[in-house]
Amino acid sequence: MTLRFLTPLAFAALAIFLIALPFTAENEYSLRLFMLFAIYAIVALGLNVLVGLAGLISLGQAGLFALGAYTGAILAVRLGWDFIFAAMAGTVVAGAFGALLAYPTVRVRGVYLAVITIAFGLIVENVIIEWDHLTGGTTGISSIPKPALFGWPLDGFRYYAVLAALLFLVVVITHNIKQSRYGRAMLAVSQSETAARGVGLNATGVRTMAFVIAASTAGLAGVLYAYLNLYISPDSFTFNDSIRFLLMVVLGGAGTTAGALIGALILTYLPEYLQQLQYWQQFAYGLLLALVMFVLPQGIFGTLSHLAARFFKRGSASPLVADSEIEKVMKDAKTGWAPASFSAEGLTIRFGGLTALNKASMQVAPGEIHALIGPNGAGKSTMVNIITGFYRPNEGAVTLDGVNMAGSPPHTVARSGVARTFQNTELFGDLTVLENVMVGFQKRLSYGLFAAAFRTGSFHKEEAECRHAAEALLTFVGLTDFANEQARFLPFGMQRRLEIARALATAPRLLLLDEPAAGLTTQEIDELDRMIRRTAALGISVLLIEHHVDLIMSVADRVTVLDYGVVIASDKPGIIQNDPRVIEAYFGVAPAAQAAAEGRS
Amino acid sequence: MPVHTANGAGVRMADQMQSIIQYILSGLAIGGCYALVALGFHIMWSTAKAVNFAHGDTLMLGAVLTIMALDQGATLPLAILGAIAASCVFGVLLERFAVRPFAKTTSSIGWMLTTIAIGIMLQALVTMEFGGFSRALPSPGVEKAISVMGAGVYPQELIIPVVALLAMLGLGWMQRHTLIGRAMQAVSFDRNAASLMGINVNWMFGFSFGLAAALGGAAGILIGPITQVSASMGLTLGLKGFAVAIIGGITSAPGVVIAGLGFGIVEKFVEGYISTAAREIVGFGLTILVLLVFPQGLFGKREVFKV
Amino acid sequence: MTLAKWSASLLAAGALVVMAAPAQAEQQPCIGNSGPLTGPAAFGGAAVKYGAEVAIDEINEAGGVLGKKLRLIQYDDAGAPPRGVDNVRRIALSDKCIAVFGGYHSTVGLAQVGPVNEIGIPWIGTTGAGTKITENGASPNYMFRVSAKDKWVAQFLAGEALKVSKAGKVAIMYENTGWGNGALPDFKAAMEAKGKTVAAVETFNWNDQDMSAQAIRIRDSGADTVVTFALDREGNQIVRSFDKIGYKPTIIGAWGIAGNLGDLAGPLANGVRVMQTFTWMGDMNPRTKAVWEKIQKKFKLKDPSELKMGSATANSYDAVYILAKAIEKAGSYDWKKVHDALYTVKYDGLVAKYDPAFDASNPERQDAILPQYYKLTVWSDGKLLPIEQTAYGKVGK
Repeated sequence: MTLRFLTPLAFAALAIFLIALPFTAENEYSLRLFMLFAIYAIVALGLNVLVGLAGLISLGQAGLFALGAYTGAILAVRLGWDFIFAAMAGTVVAGAFGALLAYPTVRVRGVYLAVITIAFGLIVENVIIEWDHLTGGTTGISSIPKPALFGWPLDGFRYYAVLAALLFLVVVITHNIKQSRYGRAMLAVSQSETAARGVGLNATGVRTMAFVIAASTAGLAGVLYAYLNLYISPDSFTFNDSIRFLLMVVLGGAGTTAGALIGALILTYLPEYLQQLQYWQQFAYGLLLALVMFVLPQGIFGTLSHLAARFFKRGSASPLVADSEIEKVMKDAKTGWAPASFSAEGLTIRFGGLTALNKASMQVAPGEIHALIGPNGAGKSTMVNIITGFYRPNEGAVTLDGVNMAGSPPHTVARSGVARTFQNTELFGDLTVLENVMVGFQKRLSYGLFAAAFRTGSFHKEEAECRHAAEALLTFVGLTDFANEQARFLPFGMQRRLEIARALATAPRLLLLDEPAAGLTTQEIDELDRMIRRTAALGISVLLIEHHVDLIMSVADRVTVLDYGVVIASDKPGIIQNDPRVIEAYFGVAPAAQAAAEGRS
Repeated sequence: MPVHTANGAGVRMADQMQSIIQYILSGLAIGGCYALVALGFHIMWSTAKAVNFAHGDTLMLGAVLTIMALDQGATLPLAILGAIAASCVFGVLLERFAVRPFAKTTSSIGWMLTTIAIGIMLQALVTMEFGGFSRALPSPGVEKAISVMGAGVYPQELIIPVVALLAMLGLGWMQRHTLIGRAMQAVSFDRNAASLMGINVNWMFGFSFGLAAALGGAAGILIGPITQVSASMGLTLGLKGFAVAIIGGITSAPGVVIAGLGFGIVEKFVEGYISTAAREIVGFGLTILVLLVFPQGLFGKREVFKV
Repeated sequence: MTLAKWSASLLAAGALVVMAAPAQAEQQPCIGNSGPLTGPAAFGGAAVKYGAEVAIDEINEAGGVLGKKLRLIQYDDAGAPPRGVDNVRRIALSDKCIAVFGGYHSTVGLAQVGPVNEIGIPWIGTTGAGTKITENGASPNYMFRVSAKDKWVAQFLAGEALKVSKAGKVAIMYENTGWGNGALPDFKAAMEAKGKTVAAVETFNWNDQDMSAQAIRIRDSGADTVVTFALDREGNQIVRSFDKIGYKPTIIGAWGIAGNLGDLAGPLANGVRVMQTFTWMGDMNPRTKAVWEKIQKKFKLKDPSELKMGSATANSYDAVYILAKAIEKAGSYDWKKVHDALYTVKYDGLVAKYDPAFDASNPERQDAILPQYYKLTVWSDGKLLPIEQTAYGKVGK
């Protein structure tokens, strides 16, 4: 997290560096190394988005790099395509494969995904070797025509200029995407996929975008590489190269733009210095890799910015926002927000032989505070998960304002106006408190990728709105003093409040609170009480799953009781409290026996 | 059936039969190797939820150390035992210094890259020691080929899948009938609970990596005489062994062994009837396909997360 | 702010466009050798080093070339073409050496043709025999070679194979690389020139461990002789695969199996014939002996059998002398002048009598060693001996 004015300064410094670099070239070979650096940096910047933001490990970038290189080379050599069109084609082809690679992330993560990317890289390498009619097989493609821009030859310094300009463009675009709603979405999905889906983010869509960005940059870099060397063969696109690309990102500092550049710079020049060591060069390379992981796990730039953050502590507070503003934020007028009625009808779900819910039904009127209670194992969380789309019921319907959402995925349900908090707090731990709420607001943002990449007017306007809304909600829950702290450092009670703020940021019509009082002190519970009332007063329905009897009695308009998956009562709290079936469910004995046992009449 | 001879002569049924038997036997041999490697991954992953990404290099280590011991004048059995013991120690040290510091973080990049780094360093050292050449590892099992139903095979090749099966059975026996085996299982189910029961979880991590490395070293010694021993012999074997473990279901020992043997046979058939590059494409393509349909592998258990 | 950033960088990029290329200068008295120090043919790099460095020592002791002392700079290409290409650029543009020595792998040599001719630096191959390395259609052609040429190697192997084959059926096993793929058409043409077709054509990839599929097909074709274009590592697997299926052809190979096949395959290697341009084994003439003694002393070797791929050592020894003479004749360390001078060098070398070494009027004569100098050696108990000095030499039609 750098201070605001540092970023334009850094861009200017980069531009100056890129311009000055070729003047220091003693000979063509040095210039070549600069160009190679630019190409690798482009790969690293894209991979940085995938690894650093979306948290997905790819050890198959060499395959995407190869796809770009071969597409460009084949089009140039066999079809005589011009440099610029070959470059675009290479980028698109690689990007398409990136989208394909994203598909497995629906099912697998972590190491398993890494294996898929490794397999992908090896498949590409072997297809290139096997399909020798198209690719020249092990001999490769030589005599690639020199790059030219519409007939104007691009040699030496001119090609460097093109590469430097493209590098600068990619730096700007990836950096801006990182600081936009897309970057935040990727970070959110990687830190807590459950919560991200709960606020309306389509996790698969976000991951696919990350993959496409990483793949397109690798593909573009591949074409540029082919035009630089004028010769390509499968030996340039091996698993070791995939490792090297990943190392660039990690060495520099995953998630940081400067880190990707630093990593690429070091790893382009390192082999040159190591060449002198001959046999020892591989050893030194491995040693460097190991040292980086041990000493600088956050990479060079990552560590530096951490230290800097320690020294230059920013003010933590965000401004307080007036109540009228808060109301406007929570009742999003633009989308025609209005209180909604909610009902669950005949919900049944079975897990194996266990029927967790059996024809459970309940209604929540607009603006009502409705409590859902029951002994442990009654099916309360199951019901919540069905309502919010995390489970699909075997039978039954879930309707909000008459629209049935049963079976829809969580992000769709969230976008229809249902928000929730989680029993086990699911925060975006590495994001700040303010950013957590901003992520919640994101479903209401509409600026596109181009606007994010180039910081157009609509980007600035909507981001300001988003920030203002987040500040408003932090005021509502009383967390303004901690706006710039990282969410995982918050004390437990405040984390709970943050979840509520984040949920409210989506402008829900129904707010689901899953055991919000668990672990809170009495004072915190009183505050929670007030928050719930204020929320309902605005017309937002609240469905509260709770064990805390006092809170329920105080705040709920109606109470529904579940026991063994069946709704056994649904009425005002006072009536429920004395309902014999409810007492039996909780205490296991009939009320008369209970009274006798306690010695009361 | 494809005909490859230049003079167009047809290939007789008996010869086709011989080819098929040949592929099956060779496939079982290489598959047995994959199975041994995959067993190692299974042991490491189920205990520590982390693996030595350069596990293939333990194969190389076992074979290389045996050769170096032989060069110094040791007898073959002594050299083999020494090499396996040294591989085991390597595994324990690797876990302690390269994996454990990173096993706590949720991201796997840490131990992935660190173990890869160690692998690179190891290969570099061996390259320097051998001067970049391959070396032969002598063994009585490769002195004479035997004929099985018309197909030629070295006895050594037949031993490998048998060893893999024995290792799998031995592992199962150990897990059921020995204290340390049960402790390993406890740690793999829930390491916090296991530690509360008095099991030293860190020791178990070390033990599992050491056991896996010893298995790897033994695999390398078994396969060394058949191929040759070089610094890079472990790379592809390790990668494919990992793919096999994932396909079979890294949580299931019988699963990975079956997957390994099957993978080896499929590879040989593809290689025989199409080409070697096709073998890699089909092999890794299968890996992706299986993972898409069975995210936990063919025989693995689904990991359920509570929301 | 954004607009300012954009304009600044666009202007800057525009300024870069009008740059001139750096001027030429005289080159350094160094020879850059791009060869495999690691990988399956690591001894190939060492072999060139032995011959070249001893030749350089001799020349430097006699006063150097044009008063300057030569030196050899060694770069590893690990058999990977991209690295070989990078090495060429580094040697020419960064080290500014007067020449590049090519290495063991033909595939690398083939990849180096483009940059070598583009830069215009003399390249002298010492091992890799791929035909299209020197017969590459360029003019002027900067790729020279003091080594074998696969077109001629194929003819030599075809001739030797047919001499030894009783059934007249010869098969080929070649590696799926630039080298093998390039040699295949040469071999087919050589066989056709003798009125024969190849009985079976089989290929394999680097690192393959089991060639039983190919072995079965070759056996079934009726071939009793197999010509190979393979390296020791795969050669070992080839002979083992043949052994496993009980097939015992005579194997005659190009010099990829002149390294340590004897160590790897043990007794199975006995009788495997290998083509060479030179052999250090057996009886040495006085001149060869003198050079051997210098190599032995400088690199602390004990026995000539430690010179794996001995042809490369002799080739590079001769190549250094030929280059040195060319530089003298050119009168300066200038790439173009040395290139032109190479065509005028006459030299009586270890391997052959070069009269002249190269001939500009004949595209086939970018190669210095003519096929009459090719020899046949055979693996016998772990040593690669000249065939006449073994029992195998007495066999034949």
